[in-house]
Amino acid sequence: MYEQEIVHSLYKKLLTLYPQTFKEQLGESMERTFQDLCNEKRQTKKELLGFVLWTFIETAIGIFKEHLLLISSGDIMQTILKTLGSSALISLLLILPFMFMEVFNRRHLNEDFPSMLFFVMWLNLFAISAILLPIMRAGRTGDHDMANPIPTQKNTLLTNPKSAAMISVALFLAPGILPLLNSVGWLSVDRLFNGPNPEVAYLPGQILSLSLILFPVAAGIIAGGPIVRTLRAGGSLFAHPIHLIIVAIISFLFAAGLVSLIIDQWPCFMGVPNCD
Amino acid sequence: MTATNSIPPLTPAVFHILLALSSGERHGYGIMKQVEADSQGKVTMGPGTLYGSLKRMLDAGLVRESDKRVDPEMDDERRIYYQLTGAGAEALAAELERYKRIVTIAQQRKLFPKTFAYDV
Repeated sequence: MYEQEIVHSLYKKLLTLYPQTFKEQLGESMERTFQDLCNEKRQTKKELLGFVLWTFIETAIGIFKEHLLLISSGDIMQTILKTLGSSALISLLLILPFMFMEVFNRRHLNEDFPSMLFFVMWLNLFAISAILLPIMRAGRTGDHDMANPIPTQKNTLLTNPKSAAMISVALFLAPGILPLLNSVGWLSVDRLFNGPNPEVAYLPGQILSLSLILFPVAAGIIAGGPIVRTLRAGGSLFAHPIHLIIVAIISFLFAAGLVSLIIDQWPCFMGVPNCD
Repeated sequence: MTATNSIPPLTPAVFHILLALSSGERHGYGIMKQVEADSQGKVTMGPGTLYGSLKRMLDAGLVRESDKRVDPEMDDERRIYYQLTGAGAEALAAELERYKRIVTIAQQRKLFPKTFAYDV
């Protein structure tokens, strides 16, 4: 009986992860149904552990689906896509002067155009603007944007400040797993990124590197979400200090990467031969 | 016929829930048991699937909450009951019509195995 109480309270906790509207509309009924199923298993003396495990997994998949549906059906996805598009364009415009310098100052030298360098520069700028642009826009519109108020009814894992901060930190730290596995000897990072022959370009390794860079970008965007919503509602930038710290750290890291790249490559932009 | 043609095909979960509710109001556990019985134990629906489908069916107006009451066949806890709406009944009829047409085509093409006792 004690076991069943624990299972019931765990399931009740799991149900709290559903979006707010879902929880309000069906949470109570769902909890009751789970109780009924548990009672049935107890009465028929069927194995409870397998049933509980299956139900928890099935419900967790349901929770994931509901959040996905909410994100893809609402205007959140459109806003994200719009922000990503603007960030991509702004970043391209900002690296254009460096591209012109490279082309113009090195026109006499017989060298290939360093596409990878500009891609990395663009990626750093893209990350910074994708994280900061929504915050800046929200700060500018303030509470005049009440046509698009805080969607309180759409409380998802990504919009709830607490869970957003946790997901953001997890995403930011996730790429750190690779060096950790490498240090205990469970994985060869070198082979993972460079393939069996380091002399030859290894596409899966390049795709993996790119995906790993996108982890902190996603972390920054998610951490910025609650700040954006508070600013839109006319609140303070400092209402979510933890989120602000996460955003600041991630943006600073990308900015530091960009600045060090520009400093390192500055002689090349100025046309110095054999600058590398 | 024209009205039923305009209704899009249903997902298996929605179809089974509508079928379960066609014989009367049921609570969540009752729907699960009826689906299991209707499908002769072939379809088992977990709470995640059942309530995910119910949410969309409530939003689409195919079902509605009727009331909260005690099930005399169970304990004295009060449960929320769900019932079919007019739109839900229409959607179920349209789906059954589609199934009927498919069965007719299958019969015409003699697709049923001879072992089945169908009237071909």
